Amino acid sequence: MRETRRMTFWDCNAGFGRPCVGTIERCDSADDLLAEMDWVGIERALVWHTLMRDQSPVVGNAALAQAIRGRERLIGSWAILPPQTGELPAGEAFFRSMAQDGIRALWALPRLHRYRLTRSTFGGFLDAVSERHIPLLLRREVGGDEPGDSYDLVESLCSAYPELTVILTGSGSWGEDRLFRPLLELFPRLYIELCHYELDCGLRELVGRYGPERFVFGSDYPASAMGGAFMLVRGAELTWDERQAVAAGNLQRLLGEVQL
Amino acid sequence: MNPSAIAREYIETGRCETCPIIDLHAHYGHFSGIYMPNHTPEQMLATMDRCGVKLAVSSGHTALADMALGNQEIAELTAEQAGRWYGYTVYNPNYPDLGQRELALYASRRSMVGLKLHPSYHQCALSDPAYGPAYAFAAANELIVLTHTWGESRYDAPKVLAQVAEANPRVTFLAGHSGFGEFDACIEVARRLPNVYLELTAAYRIGGLIQRMVERAGAHKIVFGCDLPWFDPHYAIGCIVMAHISEEARRAILYDNAWRLLQPLMRQ
Repeated sequence: MRETRRMTFWDCNAGFGRPCVGTIERCDSADDLLAEMDWVGIERALVWHTLMRDQSPVVGNAALAQAIRGRERLIGSWAILPPQTGELPAGEAFFRSMAQDGIRALWALPRLHRYRLTRSTFGGFLDAVSERHIPLLLRREVGGDEPGDSYDLVESLCSAYPELTVILTGSGSWGEDRLFRPLLELFPRLYIELCHYELDCGLRELVGRYGPERFVFGSDYPASAMGGAFMLVRGAELTWDERQAVAAGNLQRLLGEVQL
Repeated sequence: MNPSAIAREYIETGRCETCPIIDLHAHYGHFSGIYMPNHTPEQMLATMDRCGVKLAVSSGHTALADMALGNQEIAELTAEQAGRWYGYTVYNPNYPDLGQRELALYASRRSMVGLKLHPSYHQCALSDPAYGPAYAFAAANELIVLTHTWGESRYDAPKVLAQVAEANPRVTFLAGHSGFGEFDACIEVARRLPNVYLELTAAYRIGGLIQRMVERAGAHKIVFGCDLPWFDPHYAIGCIVMAHISEEARRAILYDNAWRLLQPLMRQ
């Protein structure tokens, strides 16, 4: 049956900039990203800048804010650092900066930026993030090369901050249900982003077991092709409303909850 | 907006009547490190229907572990699905006596269309003489050989594939996963050697890779695969139909190339 109704997509995990290594697809600028979103049919995206990762959040967060200014379809995310080193604004000043620059989510990259993603490091800062319902995004490699290490870290973080909204991105193309399903059942504010979740009929099973609310579309563009997860969600054996929730509605809801 | 009529049809209906898919890298059955909700023959065929996969060629997961058991299983399953589902005979070089037996059974298993090698899994390099009987058999029968390839692997990296493909010009090699991680090297092998094709399982996900493959090796050297029942074909389809390539290239990758390779090998 032909379904011509246009489904709205919000991408939870897209970026731009010039990574020092690694990607084939070039997406140097915010306008390059917007062009690819137009090509695939993505309305809005929660975005990061490669400098947040490859250089420093100090530089990359500012570059991201500058790049998305005036581009309404791009919603910003910033990377965090331990408060003790004072590299980023502290406390209320940080949240005010987020509000001013259109930032609605945060990333933690503890391996790359060499810190421990623990309560002893982040203390009240992540309590404040939790209270403000700001989503914290993690990459699947957050805890190490072995999948179990990352899920251990997610479990310890969510245990330490049970009210924190955590979006785990890139859960494996090998189908890591055995690893993340227990965490979905333990932590109601844990969400799974789908950029690498290719498991045949996996999304149908997940939605059937946990409801559509826990899963968000993301592409990992430009490292990954934007069309893959897009078509996975578009073609999933789910109702229109369930697919629309995963494609955009859940991210819209999460970002709508943010209080800055 | 991508103007592709093929893309539009897949988006709106989940499949494409004018450009269906041939999947040259499928499996069957349970596998150790992954939970697969959709693993029965009926479920796999339902997925193929849902995603417009007209024909698939599988090697059994059982066969990767125990080729005698698993090849027979795939032969029996696919024998009932003529025109829809075909099989690869897995050759495990660690059991040369059983390997010879499996090759001898090939002729009687009418739904088999080629051989499947997994050097990394069997921990035996593609260039090892232990594969000699398999290459001789494939050359004599002009079969396709789907081999796992992986970047930097001492068993099946692109340079190992190149060595073997040059030595066996009558065998058509499908580079499973396109040498994942060493893509440029594998693309170069496929460009240079007429008997090497790039197979897309998992590789399709890499941003910009399909376009690079088309530009450097040519769309005529790329075939579709998605490890079914591991991966949802729609994910791979999305990567291909949204790639910045021509409509003709999409058609070649999704169907035409595989059909050209399979036609002489289909015996039922």
